[in-house]
Amino acid sequence: MKWLLKVIEKVRPNFEEGGKLKAFHPVFGALEHFLFAPSAATIGAPHIRDPLDLKRFMSMVIISVVPCVFAAFYFFGLRFLAMIIVSYAAGLTVEALFSIVRKEDINEGFFVTGILWPLILPPTLPLWMVGLGVAFGVLIGKELFGGTGRNVFNPALVGRCFLALAYPKQMAASFLEPSHDVAGRLLSWVDGSTADAISSATPLVLAGRDEMVATSHMFLGSVSGSAGETSALLIILGGGFLLLTRVANWRTVAATIASFFALTAALIASDKIVYNSMPGVFGPAIWHVFAGGLLFGAFFMATDPVTSPTTNAAKWMYGIIIGAVTVLIRNFTGYTEGVTFAILLGNIIAPILDEIVISVRIRRLRSEG
Amino acid sequence: MSETSVWVIFIAAIFTNNILLTNFLGMCSFIACSGQIKTSLGLGTAVIFVMVMTTIINYAVYYGVLVPLGLGHLQFIVFIAVIAAFVQLVEMIVERFSPKLYFALGIFLPLITVNCAILGASLFMIIREYSFFQSVGFGLGAGIGWAVAIVLMAGLRQKMRYSHVPQCFQGVAIAMIVTGVLAMAFMGFAGMVSIQ
Repeated sequence: MKWLLKVIEKVRPNFEEGGKLKAFHPVFGALEHFLFAPSAATIGAPHIRDPLDLKRFMSMVIISVVPCVFAAFYFFGLRFLAMIIVSYAAGLTVEALFSIVRKEDINEGFFVTGILWPLILPPTLPLWMVGLGVAFGVLIGKELFGGTGRNVFNPALVGRCFLALAYPKQMAASFLEPSHDVAGRLLSWVDGSTADAISSATPLVLAGRDEMVATSHMFLGSVSGSAGETSALLIILGGGFLLLTRVANWRTVAATIASFFALTAALIASDKIVYNSMPGVFGPAIWHVFAGGLLFGAFFMATDPVTSPTTNAAKWMYGIIIGAVTVLIRNFTGYTEGVTFAILLGNIIAPILDEIVISVRIRRLRSEG
Repeated sequence: MSETSVWVIFIAAIFTNNILLTNFLGMCSFIACSGQIKTSLGLGTAVIFVMVMTTIINYAVYYGVLVPLGLGHLQFIVFIAVIAAFVQLVEMIVERFSPKLYFALGIFLPLITVNCAILGASLFMIIREYSFFQSVGFGLGAGIGWAVAIVLMAGLRQKMRYSHVPQCFQGVAIAMIVTGVLAMAFMGFAGMVSIQ
């Protein structure tokens, strides 16, 4: 690593005040900070002694999705690596352009968006769409609001929502049946042209045709779906780590899954589940929890501390709304999967929920004198 | 005559066919008055009330007067006149009997006169050939949908005070972009219930 440090020190003057490449200082800073701890100490107040700064916060999220990333490699092959590279390249380009023009430092926040983004996409989606979607999400969902921490929508969800509405056909047709070999697809490259198009439907689509995928397969992840969402086990593992480190708030996760579970169970009890038309065959409610992106969304998307509400009571309401809207969209609209829309709607309602909770508290405090 | 049930029309007018987020009607007051949650709630409530009342009155005027006389083509002028007159009347009554509410509503009541969502609701009622009760359901749903949209927008704009929007995007520009994302999220309800 020493030679790298030397290289950085050598080129540093070019990026400092008066250097030739001054305009690219944000890019240089980001690279330096990603590889090494920054050489500068904070100057202005406040100084808080806390081992968990924003960068470590982000590192925790990245560590927690590592199981899902490996699952995506295992089930869907090396193409997933290309998706990650395109995601980082396209997103960082937008981020760097904004940083250079606005003369700010590149924020670590994108490293999280950049890894979550390919995980929520169908595994054989054309690579240009991967890039376009993440660029749209970062631009509209984040950079126009001033970057990480200042956005009101989750950038990855804005991007996915955009792709789902702009290219519905490709988004629905780019699913891939995972490998059932023990070795998985660790050494193979499978894209849209070589994939077996017949057996690529997701469990939720199959359920609409009265084919129920076994709950155990959905738990382990050997089913079709977005790259990172198939294995309930690994999501719970990574998500559990996120909850233990208190990076994600357990209230949001619990409320989302509980409200989804309760409403689905109620629909099953009253024979109203629509995405399975065969009467009497619905699968247990837990099947529906494992299906699609609900768990991934609940653990990694809804818990985003920036776009979810800040008060604890509002977090409960936020989760309940996300779970309920997911049930609503899955059963009563034209879409088979509704988690993206549900969490985006949750982001939209979040400020109002906070406002309600705070105004109720203020009123209570006033009445108590 | 449309066969859709009143309940379906009501729900659709709020979610799938939200007059603001799918037809983009009433954008001017939506953008202008969504700075604070409190004012947006006031304006939203006023819009609900006026929208229900004007659809009822316009229904009576259209099918009771204009159609029998063969003057259906005058609907635009007549509807605008009815809405303006009704808002003036409400304003006077409120001012006379409840000065407090009058001052609370302030500029919003007269603003509703020029809110195109109100006229839009009356025109949709005629185009889609709703019956009387369907019209009431549609007016109420469209009003609630508009109010929900503006309150959500106001919440987001309050939160965005902590944002650092590029100078060229501040104000109306970023408000339009946020409205676009709102509309995208509401597309998730597409196909739940449908009215054309």
